[in-house]
Amino acid sequence: MRLSTVQVFQNGINSILSQQAQVNSTQTELTTGKKVLTPSDDPAAAAEILRINSELTVVDQYQDNAVLAENQLELEEGAIDNLENVLQRVRELVVQASNATQSEETRSAISTEIAERLAEVVDIANVKNFNGDYVFSGFQSTTAPFTIQSGVVSYAGDDGQRFAKIGANSEIAVGDPGSNVFLRIPSGNGSFSYSANAGNSGNGQIGSTSADTNFIRDAYAIDFSQATPDAPLVYTVTDSSAAIVATGNYENGDSISFAGATLEFSGNPEDGDQFSVTPSASQDVFSSIGAIVDVLNNTSDDPSDLALLGTELSLALENIDRSMTHFSEVRTEIGARLNRLDSQREINSSFSLQLQETLSDIEDADLAETISRLNLQLTSLEAAQQAYVSVQGLSLFNYI
Amino acid sequence: MADLINIGTSALLSYQTALNTTSNNIANVNTEGYTRQRTNFEALSSTFTGGFFFGNGVEVGSIQRIYDQFLTADVLNRSSSFGSSEAYHSYASRLDSLFGNSGSNLQSSMDAFYSAVQDVANNPSGLPERQALLGQAGGLVDQFTSLGGALENVNQEISSRVQVEVDEINALSAQIAEINDEISSTGSRAIPSQLLDQRELLVKEMASKLSIQTLEQADGTINVSLANGTSLVSSSLSNNLTTFRNEYDPFRMEIGYSGRAGDVAITDDIVGGSLGGALQFREELLVPTQNQLGLIGATITTAFNQQQQLGMDLDGNIGQEFFSSFNLRSVSSSFNTGSATVTVDLADIGQLTADDYELRFDGVDWRLTNLTTNDSQTGAGPFTVNGVTVSIAGTAATGDSYLIQPSRDAQQQFSLAMADPRGIAAAAAVRSEQPISNLGTSAVSDLRVTDATTIPLASDVTLTFNPDALGAGVPGFDVTGIAGGPLAYDPGTQSGGTTLTLAGFEFTVSGTPESGDSLGIVNNVGGTGDNTNALLLADLQNGNSLLNGTSSQQDLYSAMVADVGIKTARAGASMETEAVLLNQAEQSVESIGGVNLDEEAADLIRFQQAYQAAAQIVSVADTLFNTLLSATGR
Repeated sequence: MRLSTVQVFQNGINSILSQQAQVNSTQTELTTGKKVLTPSDDPAAAAEILRINSELTVVDQYQDNAVLAENQLELEEGAIDNLENVLQRVRELVVQASNATQSEETRSAISTEIAERLAEVVDIANVKNFNGDYVFSGFQSTTAPFTIQSGVVSYAGDDGQRFAKIGANSEIAVGDPGSNVFLRIPSGNGSFSYSANAGNSGNGQIGSTSADTNFIRDAYAIDFSQATPDAPLVYTVTDSSAAIVATGNYENGDSISFAGATLEFSGNPEDGDQFSVTPSASQDVFSSIGAIVDVLNNTSDDPSDLALLGTELSLALENIDRSMTHFSEVRTEIGARLNRLDSQREINSSFSLQLQETLSDIEDADLAETISRLNLQLTSLEAAQQAYVSVQGLSLFNYI
Repeated sequence: MADLINIGTSALLSYQTALNTTSNNIANVNTEGYTRQRTNFEALSSTFTGGFFFGNGVEVGSIQRIYDQFLTADVLNRSSSFGSSEAYHSYASRLDSLFGNSGSNLQSSMDAFYSAVQDVANNPSGLPERQALLGQAGGLVDQFTSLGGALENVNQEISSRVQVEVDEINALSAQIAEINDEISSTGSRAIPSQLLDQRELLVKEMASKLSIQTLEQADGTINVSLANGTSLVSSSLSNNLTTFRNEYDPFRMEIGYSGRAGDVAITDDIVGGSLGGALQFREELLVPTQNQLGLIGATITTAFNQQQQLGMDLDGNIGQEFFSSFNLRSVSSSFNTGSATVTVDLADIGQLTADDYELRFDGVDWRLTNLTTNDSQTGAGPFTVNGVTVSIAGTAATGDSYLIQPSRDAQQQFSLAMADPRGIAAAAAVRSEQPISNLGTSAVSDLRVTDATTIPLASDVTLTFNPDALGAGVPGFDVTGIAGGPLAYDPGTQSGGTTLTLAGFEFTVSGTPESGDSLGIVNNVGGTGDNTNALLLADLQNGNSLLNGTSSQQDLYSAMVADVGIKTARAGASMETEAVLLNQAEQSVESIGGVNLDEEAADLIRFQQAYQAAAQIVSVADTLFNTLLSATGR
């Protein structure tokens, strides 16, 4: 084919220019370490890179959220820990107070200590987190949830529970409202509570109680009667509609069972003495403790008073046991959440690692391959330049 | 001898001419558009004397311009195709680097924004977190504004380019017509080669601006017309293209043609060349990208605002707009003569698309046409299409039209409405309550407000469990404080949790309530520690709630970027192919018509030698004459 002189020059220049462009693009790849610099380099990869980078940001955020959630849950767990210790001490004091050797003065001293402990429980319940928010006030984070006024504790929080997002489809509660932790504790043995009539004149008192699954929720009255001093002591249990559900003779130490409930009695009630059984309802831990303070302060050494105290203290022990069970349930749930947090964090970090690997596969230049490509391109560029120089020296005019 | 001198002289003169032509070729070796010339010799007619024919020497028959019109026509076509893909690619590359640049990555701004939302969720009452969210929102707005501004700049740049190119095309037409005029005035005589070269250069330049057809006439002039036959140059007459503003968009230039029937819009007929490429880019990539970006802005604005308005801010008020609401654009044509007004409202953000619509009145009915899919509906209106309601009021004249671009303005109008960090509605507007006195275990969870008009509550809502709420033996909740009760709930089968709805609310009830147990829904007074709504705001990032539940905001953005990438890559590939083809065509032309210096050197030597030989003829004649003189002079 015939070539014009301009063509010869132009072709040489063109090939140098295109080689230079290739060298330049490889060089950019090397200096940035990325093979996709603009979307047109690889549109599918560009979209994928955007998606992965976005997911990475989101996963990082989940990890941050999880750390904060963990801190808050650990704070709550610590508070529950302290509560359990305090309650354990209160329980010991109640057991100590039920001892027959106690006098009015020693009971009063115990009462004072328990009152101190009550204040401590209120302090724990009003704990704040690192943001200065109250932990146990639900959504009312700036309001102190529990205030104690003349021995009565009131709750100013609500039932709100805050969650944190720790995974794409995973939200975890980062706390519990004070109402759930401190207020919703079943009274008595969990099925029923009981009391002795203040006017009882005998020294009969209720010890431990239990209920089976057949317990029929209702209010019951247990009346003791004795026709003559020599006649056997008879108990009669009536339900709320005055129907007799159980009756029998009583002797010191007998248990009375009815409608699925069993109550151990001790001592000797007198004719006309009455005890009542009410179905269990929610009772807050503060009033459970506060009741002990009151009853210890106001009991003389009179045997019938002591019998009343005995019943109250039995109930108080049951209430405290209920509270401790409740707190340990709360703590178990916190533990379960912490476990879930841990496993979610592991899932997140392995997901993040996997994303980073994929991203690197898609986005990062293969250095070895790129460098050898650059060398190859440099060689061809040099060759093109040399060819240009030698060709442009050729002219017939040199020989005329 | 006279013959000999005549023959020698004719050869001398001819080779002088040949040397001239060769020298001219050498001199023009670097002249753009120059076509090499060749001297064609012809033997002079013979003389019949004494029964024989005697040759009389040589003359220059013609100076031939070496070219092939088919190859030249091929260059014109290729040059249009290349000009088109080059212009397209150069604009597309700008969008490409706009979205590829990690500094102006909208995605990372969106991610940072939603991360800040989650930080607020972690500490809903914390002012630093709230302030940081406003800061990130500001960053997102800046990113949007700068992207939108860059796209609009390209749009306006194309408009000014259209203007400039049309002016240049008109100037070229005029110059071609002028050369035509000169050529036709030379009559039937040989046409000066340099005029043809010059005209060819002008035609080629024109072909690089838009696709044209040329037709050579018998008198040597050429007619130039657009691909659709519209004449630009006819003999010595040139017809001008005009530019005018788009009837809907004054920033958008359209191309017209003044013909006998008045000005006609021919923008759609312009294909190929740098002008055609720029117009194609505007239609195919720029406008869709602007709409797509607008759609993203519209979804962020609408979805965030809607959720914000279902929550409660730090001062206990129902949330206000976070981003400024945008206008759903409808533009009336500048040709409209009627007085109808068209209102566009957003009915469902989940159905909104990036499509544009044309609304036209035919004298009886309105027709709403989707300009992307060409689907249309007719009637008196209002029309509902893809989550948008178009309502018409007033009287229109026949032929009145409106352009509706629902998503377009959200891109330019995307801005932050909220200035006070306390205004972020991190808390839910309502919360649930369970009285301590409940004996059973029922609880409300996942309480969500679904309708902003129901909050704040006029009165507390109480659900009271009643084993016979819906008739004897059919358990459920009696409802007070709001209409819609009683609600069926059977603890025997549903204690694991079931979703119940009341007007404007949705919630899950679980557990086993005792008769008389109650659950409350109350205004979230004092709920500064609540992050329920902040979590719902954060969920907007990845929810597939858009384009009929198929896409998230992230999907929209990456689809847009992929689209720009694909079209840029395609334009790049086609530009490279076209460059090769154009180069080949030019090589073919050049290979025939280009000057080769070696060839010219050889010619130079050849003609020089022939000239020397011819001079020798004259010298021989002289010698012969002198011989004769000396022989007879004695």
